[in-house]
Amino acid sequence: MFKLILSWRYLRTRYIALASIISVTLGVATLIVVNSVMAGFSQEMHRRLHGILSDLIFESVSLGGLPDAQWHKDEIGKALGDDLVGITATVQVPAMLSFQVRGQWITRQVNLIGIDQETYADVGDFAQYLLHPENRRALSFLLRENGYDERLPESGWEQRRLRIEYQRAFQDQLRQVETSRQAALGGPLPSEELAAMLPPSDPYGSIPADPYSTTHGQHQKVEQFDEAKEQFTGVILGLMIASVRHRDPDGEVRDYFLCRPGDDVNLTFPTSPPSGHAPSAQSARFTVVDLYESKMSEYDSTFAFVPIEELQRLRGMIDPETGVTSVTSLLIRLRPGTNLAEARDRLMDRFPADQYAYRIQTWRDMQGPLLAAVQMETTILNILLFLIIAVAGFGILATFFMIVVEKTRDVGVLKALGAPSSGVMSIFLSYGFSLGTVGSGVGMVLGLLFVHYINEIAAGLEWLTGREVFDPTVYYFQEIPTEIEPLMVVFVLIGATAIAVLASVLPALRAARLHPVEALRYE
Amino acid sequence: MTHSVLTPDTHASRSASRRHLLQSLQSVDTIESPQQQPTAVQHDPNAALISATGMYKSYRKGRLIIPVLKGVDFAIQPGEFVAIVGQSGSGKSTLLHLLGTLDEPDAGEIHFEGNRIDNLPSKAKDVLRNKYFGMIFQFYHLLPELSTLENVLMPSMIGQGVLRYWWNRRDHAQRATELLDMVGLGHRLTHKPKELSGGEMQRAAIARALISGPQMLLADEPTGNLDRQSGTEVMRMLRSLNREQNLTIIMVTHDSTIAGMADRTVRLVEGLVERVG
Ligand SMILES: Nc1ncnc2c1ncn2[C@@H]1O[C@H](COP(=O)(O)OP(=O)(O)OP(=O)(O)O)[C@@H](O)[C@H]1O
Ligand SMILES: [Mg+2]
Repeated sequence: MFKLILSWRYLRTRYIALASIISVTLGVATLIVVNSVMAGFSQEMHRRLHGILSDLIFESVSLGGLPDAQWHKDEIGKALGDDLVGITATVQVPAMLSFQVRGQWITRQVNLIGIDQETYADVGDFAQYLLHPENRRALSFLLRENGYDERLPESGWEQRRLRIEYQRAFQDQLRQVETSRQAALGGPLPSEELAAMLPPSDPYGSIPADPYSTTHGQHQKVEQFDEAKEQFTGVILGLMIASVRHRDPDGEVRDYFLCRPGDDVNLTFPTSPPSGHAPSAQSARFTVVDLYESKMSEYDSTFAFVPIEELQRLRGMIDPETGVTSVTSLLIRLRPGTNLAEARDRLMDRFPADQYAYRIQTWRDMQGPLLAAVQMETTILNILLFLIIAVAGFGILATFFMIVVEKTRDVGVLKALGAPSSGVMSIFLSYGFSLGTVGSGVGMVLGLLFVHYINEIAAGLEWLTGREVFDPTVYYFQEIPTEIEPLMVVFVLIGATAIAVLASVLPALRAARLHPVEALRYE
Repeated sequence: MTHSVLTPDTHASRSASRRHLLQSLQSVDTIESPQQQPTAVQHDPNAALISATGMYKSYRKGRLIIPVLKGVDFAIQPGEFVAIVGQSGSGKSTLLHLLGTLDEPDAGEIHFEGNRIDNLPSKAKDVLRNKYFGMIFQFYHLLPELSTLENVLMPSMIGQGVLRYWWNRRDHAQRATELLDMVGLGHRLTHKPKELSGGEMQRAAIARALISGPQMLLADEPTGNLDRQSGTEVMRMLRSLNREQNLTIIMVTHDSTIAGMADRTVRLVEGLVERVG
C-alpha cells in the first residue's frame, strides 16, 4: 500500500521527473507518426500496385510469346478451378514512342502493352485510372469528342479538327511564302528553317507540325487519309509520358502536356519473327485517345496501351495459316481471399519450369524489391527511434538517481518502520512505470493527433518556413497517406514503458540496498 | 490524554499470538546460518522483555577500526522506562539501532521476549520493526510528502497488502485519528510536516510509533531538538504511556533532567554499561 501512495506522491511533487520523460513522449509520438506515415505509404502503394497489376502474372520470357493463348487459358482455368475470376491476354514489348512538339521530335522509351478491350478490365483497376469518364465506364480505343480531364480542356475530336485546320492553313501559308521566295530568289528555302522561325504566340504551340509535310511521297498518303475526320489506331499513354510536371510561380503543381488526346504519335517496336530470323523494328502511327494516371510514377511514365489485335497483327503474332494468335502474358484475377502463393504454385506444377519457359508470379513477387525496401526503411527508422527513447531512458536514470539520493533519509525511515527492501524497490519501479505510462500515453495522444492533422501541419509548416514539406511532384500523392495500425501503437507503448521501467531499475536497487542506519544519519 | 488506546487485555492476547509468530520466524533462520543456532533460552515469564549480552560493535573507516560498543550487557523488564545516557559519541544511538534491529552487532546477542533477534533474516526483522517496536527520532523523520494522518498510518500501510489495508482503511484511519487526538493533534490531520512545529512533529512521530500497538518504544533523543516546554510535554506523554499502558520505553538522551524522569538510567561509558540506579 505504502508503495502506491508514495510513488503517487513522488509523481505529484517531482515535476522534474516529468520533464525527464518528455523525451519518451516525443519518442513515442515520433514513432507513431513515422510508422503511420510509412504504413500509409506502403498501403497506398500496395493498393495502387495491386490495382494496376492483376493477382497472378503468367508471362512468357520469349519475344514471340506463348503460342495459342486459348489453350493456355483453358489449361489455367482447369488448374485454378473456381478460384479463377478473370483472365486476359496481353502482348508486352519494349517500344520507342516519338512525337513532335513545335517541330521538335521527342522520343520516350515505353512499355507497349496490347490489351483486350473486353476482358482487360476484369483483372485489375486499369479502367479507373483513365482520364475520360466514358472510358472509365467502358474502355474504347476511339477518340472522344471532348470532356477529358479539366487539366486537358483542348483535347479530343474538337481539338484535333482545330489543329488540322490550323496546320493546313499554316501549310498553305508556308507554300505561299515559299513560292513567293522562290519567285524572288529563284531558289527554294528549306521549310524546316521556316518552321523554326514560327512565332511563339502560336495558340496550338504544343501541336506537332505535320511530319509528313516535308516528304513529298507521303504527302499524298495524308491526302487520302483525312486526319480531321479519321483517327489511327488508338493508344492510351501514361500521363507522365505525355506531360511534364512542374510548379508554377504561386506554388501550384501543374502538368504541362506535350501531347494530348487527339494528337498522333509514332511507335516503334520489335516484330516477332518466324524462327531463324532476327527480329526487326516495326513502326506504326497511333492516335492518343486517352491518358492513364495511376499516380505510380513507375507506371505512368512507361505504360502505353494499344488494342491487342492490332499489336499482334503488326508484330506478326497471328499464324497466317491457322489464325491462332500468340500472346506474351496472361493476367489472372483470383477470387478475393484466395491464397496467392498457393494458386501460383498450382500453376507452376501445371507448367513446370523445365518444360515451359514461363514465369509465373504474384503481384507481390513482382513488386518484391520495392515492398521490401519500404519494409526495411520502416525497420531501420524504428530502430533509430527506439534508440532515441533509450537515450531518454538514460535521462530517466539520472533523474531517478537524483531523486533516490534526495529521498535517502525517507528510505531509512521506511526501513525503520519495517518496510522490506523489495517494497522500497517497488516504490521506485512503480514510479518509473507510472512515468513511462504517462510519458508514452501523452506521446500516443500527441502522435495520433499529429497523424490525424498531418496534412494541416504540413501546410502550416510550409506557410511558416516557405519550404516544401511534402512535394506532390515527387511522390505523386496529393496528400500524405497515413495508416494507424493498433498493434504497432500497442507495441510502441509497451516498448517505451519497458524502457522507462528498466531505467528505474538501477536507482530502485540502490534505494533498496541502502543501509537503514546510514540512511537515517544522512542529512 | 487519559483515553486509552492500548487496553491491557488486547495487549496480552496480542503478545501471546506474537510469541508464536516470533518462534516461527526464528525457525526460518536456522536454515540460513545453522552454526549460529540460538542457545536454548529458558523461558521465564518474569524474564527481560529485551536483553543484550556481550554486544560488540565497531565501525571501520578505511583501515582504521573504531570500536564503539565493547561488550554491552543489560536487560530491560516489561513496562520499564529506561533512559540511556552517555557522552556524545559514546555509542548511544548505535546501541539503540542494534536493539531496533536496524544494524547487526559484531558479536553478542539480543533477545526479545526470550528469542534471539539479532540474527533473524531481514524479512523477520522487518516484521519486528513494523509490529513490535515503535521508533522515535531526534529529527522526527516524518515523510514530507504525506499529511500528518498519512504519516501516522504509514506503519499500517507497510504492514499490510493493498487489499487488506483498503478493506480495513476505516478502522486504521479511526485508530490513527484517535492517536492523533491523544497527542493533541486532532485538528492537524491534513497538515504536511512542514506546516507543523517541532513539538507537533515529534508528537505526530509518537502517534506513528504507537499505531501498530508495539511492545516497546525506542526513542533516540526525542526531546533533543525541542524547547523545554515542548520537551516536557513529550516527556509527560511518554511517561503516561508507560504508566497507563505499561509500554516499555527505551530512551536515549544526554539531558540529565529528562533522564531523571525515567524509572532507571543506563550510562554508557567507553563502550560499556555503567549502572547508576
Ligand atoms: N558509519 C560510521 N562510520 C564510522 N564511525 C561511525 C559511524 N557511525 C557512528 N560512528 C562513530 O561511532 C561512535 C558512536 O556514535 P553514536 O552515533 O552511536 O554516538 P551517540 O552516543 O549517539 O552520540 P550523540 O549523543 O552525539 O548522538 C561515534 O564516535 C561515531 O563517530
Ligand atoms: Mg546519537
